Amino acid sequence: MKTLRLMTVGGVIAYRALFNWTTPGMFIGTLLVGPLFQLLFFAYLGRQLQVADDRFYIVGNAVLTASLACVFGGTMAVANERRFGTLGHVLLSARSRTAIFWGRVLPYAGNGLLIAVVTLTVGALLLGLRVPVRAVPGLLLAMAAGSLTCGFFGLTLGALGLRFRDVWVVSNVSVALLLLLTGVNVPASGLPGWMRAVGEWLPITHAAEAARRIAAGDGLAAAASPLGQELLVGAGYAAAAVVLLKIFEVESRRRASLDAL
Amino acid sequence: MGSTYAIEANDLRRTYRARTGWLKPKRTEVEAVRGVSFTVGRGELFGLLGPNGAGKTTTIKLLNTLLIPTSGTARVCGHDVERETRAVRRRIGYVFGGDRGLYDRLSGLDNLRYFAELYGVPPREQKRRIAELLDLVGLAGRERERVEGYSRGMRQRLHIARGLLHAPDVLFLDEPSIGVDPVAARELRRTVADLAAAGTTVLLTTHYMAEADELCDRIAVIADGTIQALGTPSELRRRADGRRVVEVEAYGVPESAVSALRDLPGVRETAVEARGALQLLTVHSDAHVDVQGDVLRELAGIRLGRVDSREPTLEDAYVAIVSAAA
Amino acid sequence: MLAVGTLLHAKQMSRSPFEVVLALVVPVVQATLAVYLFRSGGEQHRLLEAAVGAGVMGVWSSVLFGSGGAIQNQRWQGTLEMIMLAPRRPVLVILPITVATGLTGIYALLATLVWGHFLYGIRLDFAHPVAFVVAAAVCVVALGLFGLLLAATFVLMRNANALANTLEYPVWLVSGMLVPITVLPSWTSPIAAVLPTTWGARALREATSGGPVWPSVAVCLAISLLCLTVGALALTHVERRARAAATLALA
Repeated sequence: MKTLRLMTVGGVIAYRALFNWTTPGMFIGTLLVGPLFQLLFFAYLGRQLQVADDRFYIVGNAVLTASLACVFGGTMAVANERRFGTLGHVLLSARSRTAIFWGRVLPYAGNGLLIAVVTLTVGALLLGLRVPVRAVPGLLLAMAAGSLTCGFFGLTLGALGLRFRDVWVVSNVSVALLLLLTGVNVPASGLPGWMRAVGEWLPITHAAEAARRIAAGDGLAAAASPLGQELLVGAGYAAAAVVLLKIFEVESRRRASLDAL
Repeated sequence: MGSTYAIEANDLRRTYRARTGWLKPKRTEVEAVRGVSFTVGRGELFGLLGPNGAGKTTTIKLLNTLLIPTSGTARVCGHDVERETRAVRRRIGYVFGGDRGLYDRLSGLDNLRYFAELYGVPPREQKRRIAELLDLVGLAGRERERVEGYSRGMRQRLHIARGLLHAPDVLFLDEPSIGVDPVAARELRRTVADLAAAGTTVLLTTHYMAEADELCDRIAVIADGTIQALGTPSELRRRADGRRVVEVEAYGVPESAVSALRDLPGVRETAVEARGALQLLTVHSDAHVDVQGDVLRELAGIRLGRVDSREPTLEDAYVAIVSAAA
Repeated sequence: MLAVGTLLHAKQMSRSPFEVVLALVVPVVQATLAVYLFRSGGEQHRLLEAAVGAGVMGVWSSVLFGSGGAIQNQRWQGTLEMIMLAPRRPVLVILPITVATGLTGIYALLATLVWGHFLYGIRLDFAHPVAFVVAAAVCVVALGLFGLLLAATFVLMRNANALANTLEYPVWLVSGMLVPITVLPSWTSPIAAVLPTTWGARALREATSGGPVWPSVAVCLAISLLCLTVGALALTHVERRARAAATLALA
């Protein structure tokens, strides 16, 4: 119960403290309008090249748009501690590191879900895609899974950012790579084998697949397997983030390698 | 509570390794703390005094678990700082000077709420505790403003409130009065004194002599990574015992006269400090030798102002200890 | 003065490992994306066009984030106040920054082509090679001048990168860098017509696969000169406003 409170209340306050994009201008511009145009760009490109139908692009990109807030958010959740000089005070907490940092991912995942929902809704209205009503709960589930996985992925990057200075490079490159490797824009069958293999281990790949099946009216059962895979990838990153944070903390006490002050 | 001491440091050492150069990495080692031992009793207000770079902050970080000692051991409330981190962290608060270390975009209240959560203050008590502390540090009424708009003094007080959230047994104060105006510094000293009076053990680092003299039960003077002297303020003052200080205000003292003063029988140290057109000569001498007459004779022909012979202060003692270490 | 400024700013940007890595990696990713997309679409023969399009996208990103980011960075470094203090017209102070971003952006174009050639075997046979080089140069200058106009608005905004993050995809989309303008809803065509990016991209495409290059280059130049004039006027105005509203120093 106490841990749950630490994860939720603490997570929300940390979100407000560390997320750079909470002003209305930033939020709408970067997180709502930007992704919408991203979706339109690829949808039109897809139409013109006749690679796949609108549903493929709209649903896939909508799921992918969650990644922006989640990857950057997860990175900020750790790396900005350095900017404010607060890391030392956080590390002095006697409570579970795992709960503190996992809790921080939750608001970003929620944020990502919101973006994905808005993008999908507006995108579908603009381009005239019909999504069956009974597919909505399943779509939400798939998007939530994708967002959560992305958040943990971002947290892992953020943990790396504690140790290596230019973490923003990594997040920027990661976001660009997600465009390419998750099979959201280029159908997986069009990618060489090794790229597909990397994509398997990235967030969004499986969530986008699940969302497409659900949007096509296949029902939740058909999407269960990719959904499970997405969550598995997410769990992997969650574990990786915690292990990295732990290692860096221990190492910093030994070698004074974090600017913990 | 097995231990009678709040803090025990036993031959603490800490080396920093730095790598310089990229193609040809060169390792340099800096020994910041080289064998520091002391104990602080429960409820004691203990001062760590020393020049910049003496190892004060490193010592504090070794004690508050942020760094692991290269060798040596330390216990806080009987718990080992290297291994029993949780037990230690539950009992300590940490406040440092300067204006970093707060979430600028959050209000003061939210900063406290977050750290209350992190430091394990039970949810039901958080509200009361935070209100209490805001009152204590005089931020009540401003708590809903964002920290980015706070003045340096306000940030400093917020730091203190954060350090006290979980009512720690031991409070580490690392140069808390740095950059704080004199009035605020006085209030700060009162707050610290009140805390100690209420039973909190306080480890304070500072390089303001008056602050240490006024507050601390005992003081350790640290320089060059080792403790040079340890005792109550009056004991330390006695380090300069057997000394007497003559201060002379003069105008246009030639260098030759100063070195002549140094060679006078019974004189231990001399110092010259320029104050505008005026120079302040300080002459430390053995107490049993009255050098005032000799000094004035050496300075014959030079225009003089006030002449004063006095007992050494803590500051004189500190200067004597630190310059002996150098 | 302009040349020295441009060089120094280009140097300053190329010293930041952040910009360098981004400039190195992102074009590769975008080129790969474009190549695989066009391959999947069975448009094998248009790969070169795709690579050029992706390259121009890179130039635009560089100018957009460069102009917004450079000014924001100057602000963080506390140098914005110092350079605005210079006894020069604000245009002359800001213009080198934005042209330098165009110049670093040309790297994206080159990188896309080079990587496309080596990784994906795209044959670099341009219909009008000379025209291509000229068009590329014009495109960079034009985008730099357009960046000036953007910069004029960015100086005033505390969250300049909010706008930057928003504008990346729309301009890619509307100016037809990969998607022909003709497939877009008709209301976008007036917007496309006034964007220098549209004409720059068009000139490059025509130089690549054949077509009347020079009219597009001329229109692109004309629009960018207009941008320069408007941008210069705007900057002078903006400088006054910023001094009144005290937004120069805000980090």
